[in-house]
Amino acid sequence: MKIPLRTAALIAACLPLAGLSIGQNATQVGPNNTELSPAKTTAIVGGKLLTVTHGTIENGVVVMSGGKIIAVGPAASTKVPSGALVFDAKGMTVYPGLFDAETHLGLTEVAADANSNDLAEPSDEIMPHMHVYDAFHAETVHIPVARLNGVTNAIVAPDSEDSVAGQDSAIQLYGRDRDAMILARDVALAMNFEGGVRRRANYDGPAKFPTTRMGLASQIRQAFLDAQNYEAERAAAAKPDHKGPPPKRDLKLEALLPYLKGEKPVVLSAYQSYEVEVAMGIAKEFHLKVILNHLTHAQDILDEIASYHVPVIVGPIYDAPSPDQRYDAVYSLPAELQKRGVKIAFSSLGGSGDVRNLPYAAGYAVAYGLPYDEALKAITLNPAEMFGFGDSLGSLDVGKTANVVVANGDPLDVRTAVQQVFIDGAMVPMVSRQTQLRDQYMPLTGAAPKQ
Amino acid sequence: MLPVASAERRWTTLFLALAFLLPPGLLAQAPENSSPADVVIKNATVMTVTHGTIEHGSIWLHNGKIAGVGASVDTPAGATVIDASGKYVTPGIIDPHSHSALGNDINEATSPVTPSMMMIDAFDNSDKALYQALAGGVTTELLLHGSANMIGGQAVVIKNKFGLSRDAMLFPNAPRSIKFASGENPKRVYGRRNELPSTRMGNFEVMRQAFEDAKAYMATWDAYNAKVAKGDKDAVAPKKDLKLEALADVLRGKLYVQIHCYRADEFLTEEAIAKEYGYKVRAFHHALEMYKVGDRIAPTGTGIATFADWWGFKDEAWDAIPWNAVMSMREGVRVALKSDSNDYVRRLNQEAGKMVHYGGATEDEALRMITLNPAWIIGVDDRVGSLDTGKDADVVIWNTDPLSTYARVEKVYIDGDLFFDSSLPGLGTTHFHGVMHEAGFGGADDEEEDGQ
Repeated sequence: MKIPLRTAALIAACLPLAGLSIGQNATQVGPNNTELSPAKTTAIVGGKLLTVTHGTIENGVVVMSGGKIIAVGPAASTKVPSGALVFDAKGMTVYPGLFDAETHLGLTEVAADANSNDLAEPSDEIMPHMHVYDAFHAETVHIPVARLNGVTNAIVAPDSEDSVAGQDSAIQLYGRDRDAMILARDVALAMNFEGGVRRRANYDGPAKFPTTRMGLASQIRQAFLDAQNYEAERAAAAKPDHKGPPPKRDLKLEALLPYLKGEKPVVLSAYQSYEVEVAMGIAKEFHLKVILNHLTHAQDILDEIASYHVPVIVGPIYDAPSPDQRYDAVYSLPAELQKRGVKIAFSSLGGSGDVRNLPYAAGYAVAYGLPYDEALKAITLNPAEMFGFGDSLGSLDVGKTANVVVANGDPLDVRTAVQQVFIDGAMVPMVSRQTQLRDQYMPLTGAAPKQ
Repeated sequence: MLPVASAERRWTTLFLALAFLLPPGLLAQAPENSSPADVVIKNATVMTVTHGTIEHGSIWLHNGKIAGVGASVDTPAGATVIDASGKYVTPGIIDPHSHSALGNDINEATSPVTPSMMMIDAFDNSDKALYQALAGGVTTELLLHGSANMIGGQAVVIKNKFGLSRDAMLFPNAPRSIKFASGENPKRVYGRRNELPSTRMGNFEVMRQAFEDAKAYMATWDAYNAKVAKGDKDAVAPKKDLKLEALADVLRGKLYVQIHCYRADEFLTEEAIAKEYGYKVRAFHHALEMYKVGDRIAPTGTGIATFADWWGFKDEAWDAIPWNAVMSMREGVRVALKSDSNDYVRRLNQEAGKMVHYGGATEDEALRMITLNPAWIIGVDDRVGSLDTGKDADVVIWNTDPLSTYARVEKVYIDGDLFFDSSLPGLGTTHFHGVMHEAGFGGADDEEEDGQ
């Protein structure tokens, strides 16, 4: 779609007015860039619906009320409730809010400024008791920037410095404060088995265990064994005939227990084939429920990976192939995994990833063989299911949370511009620090100043 | 300039000598002149950059040059004819800011003024980043010194003829460029050591002093030359100083000045210093705040090489907005997109595509940002950057519209010779058959390792 700048600027400057019959008061920005008034029953009318679960509906209607989707279907057979606000999406594409399977949103502001980073706790490798919700900065400038491109949900994970880095939270990219934005705490355990973690190898000074992959593997095993032992001691202490004081609570070991019981997934990051095999060996030993992460250079064991029957986060596929690999070895990884029946999700972490560019990673995988519908699923329903939100997020279905995006074209194409984002059925003000700067300086281009 | 032709002969001789000694698998360098005299690509959507897009168009590559572009072209007998129905053809993509193929030798961070560093001395033509860029349609790159120093080293311009010798990859007779920097990187690198500069005041003062030194040096030579001209046989020549010679060449206007610079105030300071010392700034690189002062920079003629949507990674990138490129263009500035990254260099076409989204660039405007405009920044726009008769036959065939996410490079021609063909098994390279080297740092000059 080609829009001359001046028109585009005008649309951008007055986005909530573009093509809709909702009053201007909907754009009032309250705390943390949220709307002041509660969401009203709203119908998105006339757009092409990409439902994810039940195909494409040309000229469809989505009705949202009370924060949920209450109706989805063709315009001919889907009633718009009387009194509902109507968003005219004629010529637009309508799809569920995007779900980024791994981000650092709210843990970092300016990468180069240490004071604004709470990415990982590097004092030890085994840090399961680090909870990202304790650092999550709901007012980060990064979140409005990401949601303006249609990302409505994300997993917030610690950085991959430790072999057990901490526990992830799931967030909604909209809400007046932290409590409104965190959907669920401790949804997964972030684990890494990769050469990069061996940072303690210091050949010029005192080294600290572990400095090798052997060391890392043995330390991880010991941690899980310690947790099993801890649980056994606590179980014994809970018996009526137990004498003496109960064992002291150990937050670190306790944090591992839900994962040892397979109640929640472990997101296990590995890059090389042999790292994947070693890490999966440990995971099997302790019956962990695994989501594999990255697999960037594991192209030679894809059949084996498929036989694990675990889902895979492929990152943004921007990590570079090794010198001996074909240029598209990583671009084609999503297609190769999906072809083997593996459930995949994209994330924006890796290479030069940025949360707002999540859909373009999925689109690039389409260029390298991933079916379009699977690519869309891998940034919506698949990550939702992997982290336990399959019933509430990831598709345009009745009863799901009303996270809906309206764009002027194909969501996976870099040329497409998102026109409006709805989260919990609320019309998100299409404002970020970046749009504010844009509007402030737009008059220099000769475009009409913002009204 | 290097004596390219004779160096090439030397390499060819060496190659021939080695060819008999080594098993074929170890030959990194194939014969260098295998291009057919004529290639005609037909029935494509031809995006010329300078004169619009031709549906069902054709292009004729003859002896390394573009010999015709249009609805139809001559097809000489014996020409290789490619039916490109449904495909798109563009000029080769040009990256005006790269640190690829320089290993970990990007920054000589031992002094804030190192203008005699020649990046060609670090150029590793087996770096995998070159291959991966080629597979993304990149045919010309400006390989720059890093940004640790206020005045860094002198760039090398290459054609991405991956598999050929180092000398054969040099862009013949390209203008010389020198890298300057400003802002956070120099002050961080030297400030950490408690050396000058550790502030922006220090940064610019270091630069002014360097030019004062150069002026004094030039004056001693002027005096000497005047004596010689007068026939003074006793005149003693001043000592040649590589560093001062290079700075003198900046003041003489012999070097294109390429400045790493983020903030609006610094563009203005840099232009003021350039005016004071009488040189021109060719381009600001990164230039993430150009949208704030584009109307003031436009009259100077300085261009920019910017990121499409990178932002927030450091304080001086905090006001970056993805509309910067298009807004700056509308304010009258010549805008190119660049990678500064071994990652982005592989998909600069998508970065251009984003400009349609962020500000509504036309497809021509967006494509110009990765072809003709970067060619101008490097100073080779008379030879590459558009599909025009007489220009170098650097041509990419894409499966679909290159500004879409779905675009893949199918074939890359450089000087009329096929260097990449995705339909080939293995790497898809036609001239490279050896072992690649791992790339150095991520290829960006803003990495934490920078200057250390």
